[in-house]
Amino acid sequence: MRPEHAFIVAKREYLARLKSKGFWIATALLPLFMAAMFLGPALAASRAKAEQRLAIVDATGAGLGRLLAAALTERGAGLDDRAGLDDRAGLDDRGERGEGVVRFETQLVPPGPDPAVRRAELDRRVRAKELGAWVWLTPGGLRDNRFEYHAANLSNVVTQEVLRSRISRVVSQWRLRAAGLDAAKIAEVTRPVALSTVRISATGSHAEKGIGGFRLAFGLCFTLYMVILIYGQQIMQGVIEEKSSRIVEVIAAAIRPTELMAGKLVGICLVALTQLAIWVAAALVLTTPAILALLTLPADRTLPEVPWPVIAHLFVLFLLGFFLYSTLYAMIGASFNSVQEAQQFAAVGVVFIVPPLLFIMPILNDPDSPLAVGMSLFPFFTPLVMMLRIASKMPSAWQIAAAYSLCLLTIAGMVWLCARVYRVGILMYGKKPTLQEIWRWVRYS
Amino acid sequence: MTASLELRDVEKRYGDFVAVAGLSLAVPAGVIFGLLGPNGAGKTTTLRMIMDILAPDSGEILLFGRRRQAGDLQRIGYLPEERGLYRKMTVIDQLLFLAEIHGMKRRQALPVVEDWLARVELGEWGRRKIEELSKGMQQKVQLIGTVLHQPEILVLDEPFSGLDPINQGLFKELLLDYRRQGRTILFSTHGMEQAEKLCDHIGLISGGRLVLAGELAEIKRRAGGNSYRLVAPATAADLERVRALPGVEVAIPRDPLDPADPRSASVRLLLAPGASSSELLRQLVQFLEVRELRSEEPDLEDIFIKAVRDAA
Repeated sequence: MRPEHAFIVAKREYLARLKSKGFWIATALLPLFMAAMFLGPALAASRAKAEQRLAIVDATGAGLGRLLAAALTERGAGLDDRAGLDDRAGLDDRGERGEGVVRFETQLVPPGPDPAVRRAELDRRVRAKELGAWVWLTPGGLRDNRFEYHAANLSNVVTQEVLRSRISRVVSQWRLRAAGLDAAKIAEVTRPVALSTVRISATGSHAEKGIGGFRLAFGLCFTLYMVILIYGQQIMQGVIEEKSSRIVEVIAAAIRPTELMAGKLVGICLVALTQLAIWVAAALVLTTPAILALLTLPADRTLPEVPWPVIAHLFVLFLLGFFLYSTLYAMIGASFNSVQEAQQFAAVGVVFIVPPLLFIMPILNDPDSPLAVGMSLFPFFTPLVMMLRIASKMPSAWQIAAAYSLCLLTIAGMVWLCARVYRVGILMYGKKPTLQEIWRWVRYS
Repeated sequence: MTASLELRDVEKRYGDFVAVAGLSLAVPAGVIFGLLGPNGAGKTTTLRMIMDILAPDSGEILLFGRRRQAGDLQRIGYLPEERGLYRKMTVIDQLLFLAEIHGMKRRQALPVVEDWLARVELGEWGRRKIEELSKGMQQKVQLIGTVLHQPEILVLDEPFSGLDPINQGLFKELLLDYRRQGRTILFSTHGMEQAEKLCDHIGLISGGRLVLAGELAEIKRRAGGNSYRLVAPATAADLERVRALPGVEVAIPRDPLDPADPRSASVRLLLAPGASSSELLRQLVQFLEVRELRSEEPDLEDIFIKAVRDAA
């Protein structure tokens, strides 16, 4: 292995990619894409409010129907319900300022002499789309704390949740009034409370929206996921390109395959680091106080603080993740003749990198849980899971050291394996190899 | 004459298949050496072992009269049978990269690259991407990439296959020019005619073994005097009868036997040593209307076929 040879290859990879339009388009587009991913659903939720035409049948004889209709249509409805929802949905913090998510248009319908006839009629109106849903308030329901809700669509969980919480409030207010409290008193005792969140970190404590920390962890984890996957696939495509364009044999006659492989990995790694650095620099510039002042953020909103150690770990985790996955992809690339052939094996990489994304919620909710610790110690999961943990609450030093060491050991193994498959694979044209054949390359080379 | 490239008892197996079996071969310095053999004879495997792309299972490969050292490969220009370039790179970047991996500095390589491009009339195309070039132009770029670093030895695998006539001519000129400068050229081919026109030395391999090697003129001289050209209307069955005649070792139809017009049939005959041509003629006229039977210098194909037969 002569480093100067690897350097020539790395330089070619780096310059060729930096000169391509694709790199700059991706550098500009990914932040836009991420912004759309995060803001999109929140904006959509706040703009496109659900509407429901609701018939309220009050058979309680206690005037509950009227109270409910008033509660559902009052201005600013949904305030406190939203706070409850947000904790679960986790992605929107507009609740305390915004309007209700669901707008109800209510009509009171008397139960009539024969409830069965009335129910049939209401069902018919729902089917004819005159109504969205109907709710039936009964004395029995009041006693058992359970009312009926009939609708054509029952996957409208947000609407149901708002309705449920509103009925609960109306019922509890009605009960309080029945117990002798006056309206002002009731309003006072049922006022909801909120949590002001303060992050305790190594450097001190400061107020921060829980949702901000969540976004930071999610954003960093997702960035890592995208970059590792994109550049892993680029390695694979690069190797296949050299193989299918047949240039590889010309190169292999002048320098060792391991030098070619090392140069390729390092060159593409530097491209990725360049891109990450551009993003981090852009984020730092855009969040300087001078720029933020231009953005007229509401006074009560704070951006999450991104401490330097977290940025440092982002780069370290990227390097670990990159070499874990790029060696895997280089191996896959070297084994096949075309991207199409390699595609089914490329899915192997995805299988390893995706599981952490499925566990984002439980990991962020308790970053020190056995699940989070265990996953962060499995090398192929380490980059993403550790990113989540580090961004939310710095894990203990021994856990970080253990996870990184395991990663480095695995990388050493992957490089060894990859070098062997690569050496043989890049000169194998023609037939698609079987797994047994690839294993034979490893044993004999 | 010292050998600039030598193989000693080299063997390479792929599983149970023996691609190269105990091959020994010396390529003297300053000659054009043709490695001949049919497809699958082990030519590509041999050249790949010389270039250290494949490692022999046993045996030794000597370069410049000694065991291979670091940096030796940079003194060789190699053109594989399967060739290609980075499609998205510009011509100049591509050639500079190839020069760099062969040990040249960028600064030192740039004038050489420009010189070459001008020489093959690609001067205007230096900043274009490879994929924008025609196939013939790409071939020129590939050839420049092979010789750019002024290699002392050229190792070329089927260099003429796939080349258009203009580039074939260009390449031939280049090879002859290289020989004049005292450089060594080893190339493989299954086309005997190319080899016959260019080579000073040849090595014939079949089934991974060397069946004949030496100076071409000497080989031809040794094989001469026993080769004849027969012109006679003949069918395939007639040809079989010719082959069965005593003293006939090889009978190859020169032009395809045309059943509609067998008159044109001409057959190359190789006789066993000591066989008499008048005896042959006496036998031929018994079943053929012989128009012509004359002594000819054997060509490489005859020699090759005979050598393979003798080896078997």
